[in-house]
Amino acid sequence: MNWVQLLVLGLLLGSVYAMMASGLTLLFGVMRVVNLAHAAFILIASYITYLLFENLTLDPIVSLVITMPLMFGLGVIIYLVLFPRIEGSARYVEMTVLLTFGLALVVEGLLTFVFTGTFRSVRPAYVSTSIHVGDIFIPSNQLYASAVSFALLIGLWVLLRFTKTGTAIRATMQNRGAAQIVGVNVRRISAFAFGTGMALAGAAGSLLSFLFPFFPGKHWQWIALLLSLIVLGGMGSIKGAVIGALLLAIASAVVTDTFGPTWSPITFYLTLFLILLVRPQGLFGAKLRL
Amino acid sequence: MALLEIEDVVAGYGAGPDILTGVTLSIDEGTSYCIVGPNGAGKSTLLRTIAGILKPRAGEVRLDGTRMNGSRPDQMLAAGVCFVPQDASLFPTMTVRENLVMGGYLLGDRVLKRQRLEMVFETFPALADRKSQNAGTLSGGEQQMVTLGRSLMVEPKVVMIDEPSLGLAPMIADQIFEKIGGFRELGITVVLVEQNAVKGLESVDWGFVLDLGSKEFEGPADGILADPRIRELYLGKQLAPRERR
Repeated sequence: MNWVQLLVLGLLLGSVYAMMASGLTLLFGVMRVVNLAHAAFILIASYITYLLFENLTLDPIVSLVITMPLMFGLGVIIYLVLFPRIEGSARYVEMTVLLTFGLALVVEGLLTFVFTGTFRSVRPAYVSTSIHVGDIFIPSNQLYASAVSFALLIGLWVLLRFTKTGTAIRATMQNRGAAQIVGVNVRRISAFAFGTGMALAGAAGSLLSFLFPFFPGKHWQWIALLLSLIVLGGMGSIKGAVIGALLLAIASAVVTDTFGPTWSPITFYLTLFLILLVRPQGLFGAKLRL
Repeated sequence: MALLEIEDVVAGYGAGPDILTGVTLSIDEGTSYCIVGPNGAGKSTLLRTIAGILKPRAGEVRLDGTRMNGSRPDQMLAAGVCFVPQDASLFPTMTVRENLVMGGYLLGDRVLKRQRLEMVFETFPALADRKSQNAGTLSGGEQQMVTLGRSLMVEPKVVMIDEPSLGLAPMIADQIFEKIGGFRELGITVVLVEQNAVKGLESVDWGFVLDLGSKEFEGPADGILADPRIRELYLGKQLAPRERR
């Protein structure tokens, strides 16, 4: 395959990964929560999208209008119910890992109970079409998913950069104590940020539903991939998550083309391994004091 | 009536023991105060409790006669109590200007925010020169200036400053104390906590001596400095070099 084609495929998938990873890294940045349940929540949204498509033939892209607010609400509730209990703990970060690991298991169990372990996929008409530009082919579903992800990333950037709430989120990411001192209600901002991260997970779920087949245990693959993306970019850095996602998606496209698709996941973990060895704080991460 | 009243306040961290075992003191408008005492006396804990970062386990914090127990830090700030913590708590990758603007987070009015910013730059001309620089790249003294300047953005009634001289060279520390002295002209009541008890007491009107979580003594700052008994008990080490001279 020629290299332009690989670059295009890498960038298309990379922007979806970037959107998924920015939600996860936002949660880590604002709250120091390593949300191991993030991909499980993405799957919830995939199944909701599946139900809407099967029963109401609602287009999966349109279903973002439903999955995003729904997941935002779920995120706020989960945050307010579960996190204040562990907030003052001296082992807060370890607690969040256990807590979110538990959440991931619960979600997987519930999904298996309701939907069984069968592979599902959402198949609107555009999953089997593609666009040809010269000798480059662009699968329609990837193009649409990529465009939506890109728009959401711009939206996130505008929110963080130009709104008062966004400024408060950035301030809380940089220094939670200082944010509190200048009058930011950090609990409310955290709840909002958690909701925003979850809304992005909702969007990711709707988009992935027509990109890849899924089953309740699929989230382990996704979370491993997402974690390698945000570690590469530097945990808590949204810019890093986006660049890390694009780089790894392109690398994975090249590896798939050269060695075959079975080697693709290795790209992520090998990069993760090398990054931790050479530059543990990631490309754009500050050296953290937890 | 006192501006800020602390009555029998008991406080501590998490499930840990009481750090403050019943502190009572009162802060009048327009007077400046310094709280001194040995390490672990509860000086910082007291400020954090007043600021609303820690919730008192017992006792009362009153501002202008209103009970403020259980108020969040943002509510305390809105009521006029500003806390400047000891580690120059800044937003490292925001510029000096952005850091100061964040100090006015609670202000709704843009024009007011801009006026206050001008006022801060007048008070701290050194910061005006560095306004586009990231706060994380400043020296310790400059960072302390930013946190002090930031506290002025909301025109607080009381500014509580925790260890402003911590980690600073003596000459830089002197500049910081001079700036803090200037807060009084702005009509702001200052409450200092200072490890360097002599420096701290020299720059205020009234001193509190805190030990083992409660107030042991209070009086005019120069009186405390002159009292040989207190000096020996609580300020001994810091005074030693001067006595040798």
